[in-house]
Amino acid sequence: MSETVYIEKMAEFSQRLRQEGLAVGLQETADVCRLLSDLELTDRVYVRAALSALFAKSREEQAVFDRVFEGFFVSRERREALRRQQEAEAQEIARKRAEAERELQFEGQPIELREDLKDVYVTMEDDKKEYLRQLLEKTKVNAQRSPKLYGSFIKSVFMRFLLEQQMVMEDAAVGAEEADPDLALLYRDISRFRDADIPRAAALISAIARQLDAELSRQRQGRGHSGQLDFRRTIRKGLETGGSFYRLAYRRKRRRRKKLVLLCDVSGSMLQFSEFALRFIKSMSEVSESSAAFLFSEELRRVDPFALQNMDAFRDYVRSSGLYGRGTDLGTALEALCAWKPAALGPGTTLLILSDTKTVDLPRAARQLLEAKRQAGKVLWLNPIPAGKWPYVRSIQTMSMLCQMVPCSTLDELARTCRKLLSN
Amino acid sequence: MDIETLKAKLEEEKYVCDDQLVTTLLVALKLGRPLLIEGAAGVGKTEVAKVMAAALDRDLVRLQCYEGLDESKALYEWNYQKQLLSIQVQMNRRDPDELTKSLFSDEYLLERPLLQSIRSEKPVVLLIDEIDKADEEFEAFLLELLSEMQVTIPEVGVVKAASIPFVVLTSNRTRPLSEALRRRCAYLYIQYPDLNKEVAIIRAKVPNVNEHLAVQVAQAIHALRDSEAILKKPSIAETLDWVAALEALGVSDLTPEAARQTMGFVLKSSDDLDAAAPLLTGQGNGCGCGCGHDHGGEGCGHHHHHGQ
Repeated sequence: MSETVYIEKMAEFSQRLRQEGLAVGLQETADVCRLLSDLELTDRVYVRAALSALFAKSREEQAVFDRVFEGFFVSRERREALRRQQEAEAQEIARKRAEAERELQFEGQPIELREDLKDVYVTMEDDKKEYLRQLLEKTKVNAQRSPKLYGSFIKSVFMRFLLEQQMVMEDAAVGAEEADPDLALLYRDISRFRDADIPRAAALISAIARQLDAELSRQRQGRGHSGQLDFRRTIRKGLETGGSFYRLAYRRKRRRRKKLVLLCDVSGSMLQFSEFALRFIKSMSEVSESSAAFLFSEELRRVDPFALQNMDAFRDYVRSSGLYGRGTDLGTALEALCAWKPAALGPGTTLLILSDTKTVDLPRAARQLLEAKRQAGKVLWLNPIPAGKWPYVRSIQTMSMLCQMVPCSTLDELARTCRKLLSN
Repeated sequence: MDIETLKAKLEEEKYVCDDQLVTTLLVALKLGRPLLIEGAAGVGKTEVAKVMAAALDRDLVRLQCYEGLDESKALYEWNYQKQLLSIQVQMNRRDPDELTKSLFSDEYLLERPLLQSIRSEKPVVLLIDEIDKADEEFEAFLLELLSEMQVTIPEVGVVKAASIPFVVLTSNRTRPLSEALRRRCAYLYIQYPDLNKEVAIIRAKVPNVNEHLAVQVAQAIHALRDSEAILKKPSIAETLDWVAALEALGVSDLTPEAARQTMGFVLKSSDDLDAAAPLLTGQGNGCGCGCGHDHGGEGCGHHHHHGQ
């Protein structure tokens, strides 16, 4: 291969990496070109290792690099085979889309669905499609009587079902699993953790919490002194240098730990998320001993700190408290929290609500949230539902207008939220 | 130097390495770039620097990072006591301007690892170990050294490198390093070795080791690393310690009893020791030899001699 072709290929490869979010500079590209010609590397394994060392600067970037490398450096035969495969797949998808257009009809009119949801329908398994077909069949008679009413009903059912399927597919598509199980766990929906993942997730939480603690402690150190000279320490230090005040010592700013009040939904599907989130937050040394945790489903309970020591103790506590397996009444929980004696909320506290917003009597919950907001210094809502689904959940729309709400469906999002919360 | 030569030199130093590692080392060496190595604790990151020093026949200069590490500990420091003494002794004898000037000369300069590595006439290997433990300010301070191979000392001026050291930075990923630092380095992520490599490491590092025992230990170590219940995964150094301990005790077959007696060389916390107990006694999926693999009730056959 001539040198010009080398350079062009490498420039193109660098461009691909940039498109995938890697910060690849001109220097790296130039270095790679120089290196490949100097070392006369031709073996694929060596070339890959050399390029990876210079282009990918972290474990996460290596995963992206591997994917782009596999797609970019392919032999002519393999490229041809891939092209044929892609063409066949494109034809198959076009056929299925046409079929889907025929099937997604109600009373002869197409059901109005977003394009991405139609794609979900196309790639869905046959038994799932059959479920929707049967639904159309069952409602056929009623629909003829009242097409308008049943039309919007069918549309909402289809939309919800397809959204759920989309979420399942997105979770299944987390591609880093094989390369690095911890990395995959970091970005997987917490509610979809399997039992076997739990010890690994617990270890990961401890590691991230330690990392966050170290980061925050360094940030604090960097914030410097309060401006006041510490005479005692300055004179003492001066003694080391023969009485001359070689280095001046300043008073450090007094650090106030955050006082958090955690309100966690432990009803049914929320238990797993609350468990992880509580473990995460409580494992951070920044969270003071005076912080309090409350659990709720239909009623509110203050949680015993011993119950938070490990996952098993927490589960046992939730089950024995009678909160598990019941409905969700956020209004009652917030009302009880606001009236708690001695007062749990105050101007210096931050109320963290861990809930998916699904509750009975939404208007009352909204009223009580406003009251809690009045009493607490700050209210932050950690929501395990991914942000992409928020526009379709009415209760989320209502609550997010009343307080700051952040998506926390994965451990990574949870860590980012904690970092932001505690570093402010 | 080419890949094969470097590989041979590393093997001479009894370092078992794969193609990716050798290529990355050669890339960093050829381009004169610092090499950032990440990976779990105990996978042999620090060892890379030591072996490179031996393979390239260079001195190893090591800077161990910790929270609060600053320029005075890493780069240079003025010998304050000596300066004070000089002032007092020579106060009436010399011209004050000349005296002041002489106070900031090489005579009073205490070289710390970074300065030592770039002022050395013969190129060295500079190991900046556990950079993630140092503060972000220190990381920023390193940028000038790593990209320009020079440092600025206010009283002296810019000190350019007399020779270019081969710089190895290691990190356990306890905090993310800055993009600026990463950009300046070649990058290598080291994982725990696979079974064959682990056996090869044992063979290389423990001379005359019993072949059968080496395989058994490597399998047991892998089972422990794969077990989700074990939180602190055994390092390669711990594997070697374990083999050495078993050899010292005259053990040639890793029975559950022998494994239990020497498990303290591998697992260093009571929680992990408790979690490993079922693997050793053959409960759960273990076969009772400490390897923890499920053999479908047929034993592992190929590497064990239970009851012998």
